[in-house]
Amino acid sequence: MEYLKLVELIPVEKREITADKLVDVILSSKHSDKMPSGLAIAFLQQWRQNLLSSKLGLSALLEGAILLEQEKTLVALRELRLDELVDRIKGAV
Amino acid sequence: MVKFGIEFVPKDPYWKITYFAVQAERGGFHNLWITDHFNNRNVYVALTAAAIYTDRIALGPGVTNPYMVNPVFTAQAVATLDELAPKRVVLGIGAGDKTTLASVGVEMRKPLTAVKEAVSIIRSMANGEKVVFEGQVFQIAGASFLFKPRSRIPIYIGAQGPKMLALAGKIGDGVLINACHPKDVEYAVRCVKEGVREGGRQFNDLDVAAYTSFSVHEDLKKAAKAAVPVVAFIVAGSPGQVLGRHDINLEKAEEIREALKVNDWGRAFGAVSEEMIQAFSVCGTPDMCIERIDQLLKSGISQFVVGSPIGPKVKVAIDLISERIIPRVITEPA
Repeated sequence: MEYLKLVELIPVEKREITADKLVDVILSSKHSDKMPSGLAIAFLQQWRQNLLSSKLGLSALLEGAILLEQEKTLVALRELRLDELVDRIKGAV
Repeated sequence: MVKFGIEFVPKDPYWKITYFAVQAERGGFHNLWITDHFNNRNVYVALTAAAIYTDRIALGPGVTNPYMVNPVFTAQAVATLDELAPKRVVLGIGAGDKTTLASVGVEMRKPLTAVKEAVSIIRSMANGEKVVFEGQVFQIAGASFLFKPRSRIPIYIGAQGPKMLALAGKIGDGVLINACHPKDVEYAVRCVKEGVREGGRQFNDLDVAAYTSFSVHEDLKKAAKAAVPVVAFIVAGSPGQVLGRHDINLEKAEEIREALKVNDWGRAFGAVSEEMIQAFSVCGTPDMCIERIDQLLKSGISQFVVGSPIGPKVKVAIDLISERIIPRVITEPA
């Protein structure tokens, strides 16, 4: 999946809340062992710079959330009414 | 000025702890403590990651012990970590947990002496000295680093019993008191002060921390539910004297102990009472936690450490502490 392209489907005004929800999905996951080391570093780098709601940050978060908790990620995105993003993810997995 | 510390257990992967460390630093916490148990991930790897992604927060093991980790290695680890996070490294050291040590065949021999000797060795090594040491627990024929340590590392002694608390007062730069209730903290501070007097020191020279089991949430029931498992283990490990100080039913405590032995979590956690939660955790809504912290501050502590579980959801709890508790307890900026 091309996460950088997918996150373009998130409207600017929803980026922050989406980032927050995806962080919640990742941090509360019981499958943290599935987090690839490179992705964990990308996630932390964006967090350190307070850029998790940037395109790069959202891309890392979305990839991590889907790897760790695909169903919960889709539910969270649906709650944010990001239906097109949900459909694209479902079509790709 | 009172400081706030936060404890993490590297049962979680380094990246989760690092996320929370960055969040805590932004939220005004001053100290990050990471526990050291052989069955979790390595404390120094977790601290290294946290050091890389943070800028100001002081950090260190909270606590390591001299039985599993030779003091020479501990000195090497903290001196190296100090190169990564200059003047931010602190070291917490205690005697360790007898049961955990026994599970790997290590005997907790002369705990007071071991901690005292370890502190002396670590101080000398981290000061760049060549160490020749003929102790009762440790013997070092002549050891020094092939690099020059940069900073003086403050050493905090993790203590619960009166003798270890007094030792902390006598030789520590700080003390990490394992207690949550004002009665216990007041008692501990008295013991620390005895050591301070014995050592001819000033109490204010020490950073005295209450290392608490903490759980905060807007909903008291949710905060209490998160605290129950930790409190169950504390009750099970507490001597009768401590339980008696809080009028804890000894039969109930024994029931918890027995249930935990056979991993009967339902029975163990179900036996945890409101009194036990009050005695062995700081738990509740932000206002309730502030009230308890204020009581503890009156005992003479200078650092309040929020330890496991922190809250039902750690991220939410750190925000609550940062936004609703720290600003009301501290009037000066971090």
